[in-house]
Parts: sequence; C-alpha cells; structure tokens
Amino acid sequence: MKKIAYTWTIILVAVQLSFAGGPWTKTKGKYYIKLSQWWTIFDQHYTDTGLIDPNVTTGVFNTSIFLEYGITNRLTGVVNAPFLSRNYMNNIRSGTTGELIIPGAAVNGLGDIDLILKYGLSTSSVPVSVSIGFGIPTGITAGGSQENLQTGDGEFNQFIQFDAGTGFQISPKVPAYISAYTGLNNRTNGFSDEFRYGLEFGVGLLNQKLWLNTKLTSVESFKNGDTAETATSTSIFANNTEFLSIGLEANYYVTERLGVSIGTATAIRGEIIAAAPSYSIGVFYDFK
Amino acid sequence: MKNLTTIIGFFAIIFFFQSCIKDDFIDDLTDAELRITTSIDTLAFEGEFQLEARFLNTIGQQENVPIEWESSNQEIITVDASGKLFGVSVGNAIITASTVYEDEIVRDSIFIAVAGNVNVQSVQSIFGVIETTTFYTLEGDFQFIETPTGVTLKIDDNYEASSSLPGLYVYLSNNRNSISGAHEISEVTTFSGSHEYDIDGVGFNDYNYIVYFCKPFNVKVGDAELNF
Repeated sequence: MKKIAYTWTIILVAVQLSFAGGPWTKTKGKYYIKLSQWWTIFDQHYTDTGLIDPNVTTGVFNTSIFLEYGITNRLTGVVNAPFLSRNYMNNIRSGTTGELIIPGAAVNGLGDIDLILKYGLSTSSVPVSVSIGFGIPTGITAGGSQENLQTGDGEFNQFIQFDAGTGFQISPKVPAYISAYTGLNNRTNGFSDEFRYGLEFGVGLLNQKLWLNTKLTSVESFKNGDTAETATSTSIFANNTEFLSIGLEANYYVTERLGVSIGTATAIRGEIIAAAPSYSIGVFYDFK
Repeated sequence: MKNLTTIIGFFAIIFFFQSCIKDDFIDDLTDAELRITTSIDTLAFEGEFQLEARFLNTIGQQENVPIEWESSNQEIITVDASGKLFGVSVGNAIITASTVYEDEIVRDSIFIAVAGNVNVQSVQSIFGVIETTTFYTLEGDFQFIETPTGVTLKIDDNYEASSSLPGLYVYLSNNRNSISGAHEISEVTTFSGSHEYDIDGVGFNDYNYIVYFCKPFNVKVGDAELNF
C-alpha cells in the first residue's frame, strides 16, 4: 500500500530552507558553517483555496547544521542537517468544562537531511551555477499518539536548481548583490513534483560587517501526486502544497569570520501551508 | 567559547520553553437538551409501549438525570415513572419528559394517538444539507433514514468534498463543534457523488449533527444539522 506522510511540518521546512544562496561557489578548501534554530508556531493555515482557516496550534522547531564546503573552486558541497526537529500539537480542551477532548502530542528526532552539489557554470560578472540536491528521508514520518506528527516526509526527492546573480556597488562603501534561481523538485512516494523560483537582494553595511537580505521564494506544485481521493492508504497526509514567501535576514560579523544571524519569513500566498511567520537565529563561521 | 555557550543556551531556552504542549480551547457550549429517543405514531388501545429519553448537558454529553414523565390526558394515555405508556382509550395525548438542570426545566414532548389493536411505528427519515464551515469545499444534500439495525446516511449526487485534506472523517455528534463523545462513522473515501453509510447500533434520535473532521490536523471541516 502506498503511504504518504506530509504535514505542515515539512511544508515549513521547505519554506525555511528555500535553498537560495546565490550562484557563488566557495573557493577550494573554504567553508561556511552555521548552527541555527528555526521555529514557527501557528494556529491558522492557507487552505486549498488559498484562504485562511484556523487549526489546532502547532509548533515546529528545527535545530540545524548548515555547511558549505569548497571541494574545488567551482564545485561546492552543501549539507543541511536538522539534527534535532520537534513537532507538536496542542491539547484540545472544552471551552465550557476544560475537559480534555483530544490530547496534544509531540515528536522529536532527526529531520530530513539535504545533500547538495553546486557547480559554477560561469564565473563572469554574472555567475551562473547549477545545483543538484537530494532530500534524504532521515526524519520520522509518523510520530505522536495519533501518528500525525512528522520530522520528515519519508520520501527521497531530487532537485535541480539554476542560480544566477551579480554583485554591484550601491555606493563606494555599500556593496550589494542580487540573485535569482529556478529549479525543479522531483518527489517520490506519490508527492507532487514542484517548480521553484526565487529572488534575493542583499546589501552590506557597516564596512561589510552587517549584511541584510530579503528573499522572495516560491514553490508551485505540478499537482501530479496523490490526494486523499486517489491514494489507497488511510494514512495519506497533505500534498500539493504551494506558497510564495517573503523573508528578511540579517547577518552580522562579530569578528572577521564569526557572526550571528537572525531572520524571519512568512508565506504571503499559499495552499495547504501555515499562515504564520517563522523565525530563525544562528551563529556562523565563515572561513573565506 | 563563552559567547557560543550563551548562544546555545538561548537556543535551548527557545526549544524547551516555547515548544511545550499547551491548551487550545474550543467553543463547545450548547443548550442542555432532553430528548425522547424512541417514537411511536399510534399506540394500540390497551396497548403498551416503552418510551426512552436521554439528557445531553451543555457540551452535548449524555448525563444520567431523573426524568419525570407526564401525559396531557390520562384518560387517553397513562405513562408511568419509567416512561411506559398504556393506551386507555381512543384519542390523542401529548407525552412530556422533563428534568431540572442547573435550575432550569428541560423538556421534550411527542404527540401520540391511541387507535386500533396494534402499535404503529413509522420509519423515520429526514432530509438535510451538509455545509462547509471552512474554506474547504464540502457540500451536498443527504437523507438520514432509520433502519431495523440502526440508521443509513444517504448522500446525494450533488455532494462534493475537497480531497486536499488528509484523514477526513465523518461523525455523528451531539455538539457541532466537538467530536468528544461522537460516533465515528467512517473515513471519507468518496469525494463527489452519491454514496451512503449504513450505521448499525445507532438510534435515529441519538445524535444532533453530522460532523466532518480532519483527524491528522484536528480541524473541523463542515457539518449538518439533523433537524428532528
């Protein structure tokens, strides 16, 4: 029997990752590593009609290690590992008597790990790169007392992404960059494939100690996967998620290499996705 | 190292304190109700019939309470303390069940005729409309029919439900906002067109609402009132 597991947890992880990063590859032997905490708590979501409905309060927390390493000057390896992922739903109680109607639940464990190879196709003033990524289903697909919580989607996906961008000066002391990407995500186990695209604009301030960026990220579903109507399993979870999200992030270099980051993102349009902002904080080491 | 410890500590605070399971409260207040659950159209002359009633509190949960039975005309029908009827003479009477709950009288009545030699109970059936209470598609007409073993929920051709939500289930409930104490009929596997559910062991008057509920996300999607 076909079994699909996909909840808002994974949707939100998708929003969180929105693998952009631009077309720039790391120089051989250089690396960037980041320990981050990402979370969201939401009590409403976008329905399949794009309108917002309430839901039981749900929280998702991911503690992740993100690593970019320059294998060669043109080839960069990327690992994103949410090594501690927590997903919970609140208790539902009677507003009249306080009686517990549906007990809450939580699941903790490893999330799905992304492995990516990014290759620089062009190193001109407008560099272009191609990335091939694999979503390893290392997460838990059925946790909690009702088995409706996940830290992973249980499917092995493969995606290809093209990035292009350029750096420029807003003023002599204010560098900036803009980048765009587009890609395809091939998903298995009955999940719909996805078309992804995004834009990112960043600016360096305070003598490049502070980098501010904003991202526009979109996932459009091909809606070619299973739904509750077509799947034979009784444990199918949501599919055909779409969203357009906007994010803001600040990265501050405390030293030449060590820095902290803080960010937020939210879907401004969506289907079957949480309608609430997510937040992230992190500490990074940038061995340039 | 000290800074790193601080940052990790901050992560831990977020993780352990913000990620606790808390409580969501639903508005499940409803009117207390006493309902006569058995029915009879015609009571035989000198015939007997046992009426039954159930009390539902302000969240639609059944509670055992003392029930008083009363006949509007004891020269036509008498009723004893347990709700047992006796057809005294030909005519009509109204039988009322009542109880006192939180200082208020709660009652239900039925109209019964006395005639002939046999008790007559017609098959009960009602029509209604399923409506969405969300932005997910859910609509359709239905017929709720009493059967010898329970009830049948017969859903019409114009029924349509979104297949985007996983784990959609249909229930019979006495609270339109809660599935606490509800009877789970089935997982929804038909998302358009006519279909029906045979539900054994459930009385025609046992529940007030049909409720559609998405189990994995704990979201109510729609309902229908069983207007008796």
